[in-house]
Amino acid sequence: MVDNATAAYIVETQRCFEDLKQVAAQLAGLLVLAAAGSKEAADHPMLGTARELFREANDALRCACPTDRARKHYVQLVRAASEIDKALEETSGGLKIERILVPLRAGYAALECAADALPGFEKVAYARACCGAARFPGAHAP
Amino acid sequence: MTAYSLWVMEYAAVPNYPQSGLIYGMHNQGTRKLPYCYIVIKGQGQIAMVDVGYNHKAHGEVLANTYGVRGWHPPREVLEEIGVKPEDVSNIFITHAHFDHMGNIEDFPNATFYIEERELSKWVWTMSLERRFRWLMLGIDPADILRVVDLARQKRLVCVDGDRENVLPGIDLHAAFDTHTWGSMYVTVRNDLAVNSENSWVFCGDLAYTYENLRGHQPNDPEYIPIGLATGSQFNVIMTAEKMVNSVGGDVHRVIPPHEERLKDLFPSRITKNGLRVTELALAAGEKSRVG
Repeated sequence: MVDNATAAYIVETQRCFEDLKQVAAQLAGLLVLAAAGSKEAADHPMLGTARELFREANDALRCACPTDRARKHYVQLVRAASEIDKALEETSGGLKIERILVPLRAGYAALECAADALPGFEKVAYARACCGAARFPGAHAP
Repeated sequence: MTAYSLWVMEYAAVPNYPQSGLIYGMHNQGTRKLPYCYIVIKGQGQIAMVDVGYNHKAHGEVLANTYGVRGWHPPREVLEEIGVKPEDVSNIFITHAHFDHMGNIEDFPNATFYIEERELSKWVWTMSLERRFRWLMLGIDPADILRVVDLARQKRLVCVDGDRENVLPGIDLHAAFDTHTWGSMYVTVRNDLAVNSENSWVFCGDLAYTYENLRGHQPNDPEYIPIGLATGSQFNVIMTAEKMVNSVGGDVHRVIPPHEERLKDLFPSRITKNGLRVTELALAAGEKSRVG
């Protein structure tokens, strides 16, 4: 159970968490393309999309007001944003996989820690995919 | 001759899964057990697998507590039942990129992974879409994508473009685009190694969850009934079912849905000390039974 103020914090930061996760996924996707030898990865339009989405998420994060119960979650979210920001900065010199991968991994790990720190933050949208039907009859199988 | 030993290895299960999630249109018609399995193919000096299951460290608690997944055990314990170690696995065919099929990449340090290039490229494309399209990202774990980057850097990722024959002797990969996912594949094992095999098996991933998807509800009047979830089209799912059934000479039971609990009624099997099932489909010469 969480108190009302923490519940409000959860609602406030869910979108931010989702957006940071999406930015991490977008960067990871570009790295897959680069690692597979794609020449288009470095100039892929998704890089711009990721930067814009990160800016929005980071702005939202600065406005969040964590309660004591939410402190650990907030710290991890801030750490995730910081590491993902570093990963994005590394893309400015081309897609050097190793330089981007290190902060990106750290950022995603922080997101995973954040998801474990409070309810309401899912690493994968289980309810819309794997096993969702087990909880919500009529939803989808894996 | 029988070139490969074939086993279906259960690694977790949902005891009560709504049938509507598995078979299109079966709303409000109860539940059934949904096992989670991967396939082991051993022979010709190789050990291969079809899919690798999910990463328990990342997802286990949520899946157990919220979605009723029970009995997860790591590949090392599951494979031990047939005398295989994860580090001995040389080739892994990923039917699609959902986290419960490709999440355990890290546990197989020496394997080369095969996946359809379209499966990866379309997921990447999907990530570029705006938030309102997020349903299309279902089942994808960004951490798995990072692991794929590592595979590519280590030269252990093979992106397949369409069909590929004899990826190992007698083993073929078949594309099933725009079906369950953008770039799903199924795996055919021609277990006599013949071009026109009379001893073929199909490992279909999630292109069929149960035998009802492949033969309907009345065995004497078969029909294809789509699965509960398709990112692509149900038309493509049905036409792929026809291809898979034809490739095993019409014997539906040689198409192996890894989520089908009733495999135990068709093939020799046993329950392990961990409460998981091992099902033995075929034994190569010199291989001893692991279910006897």
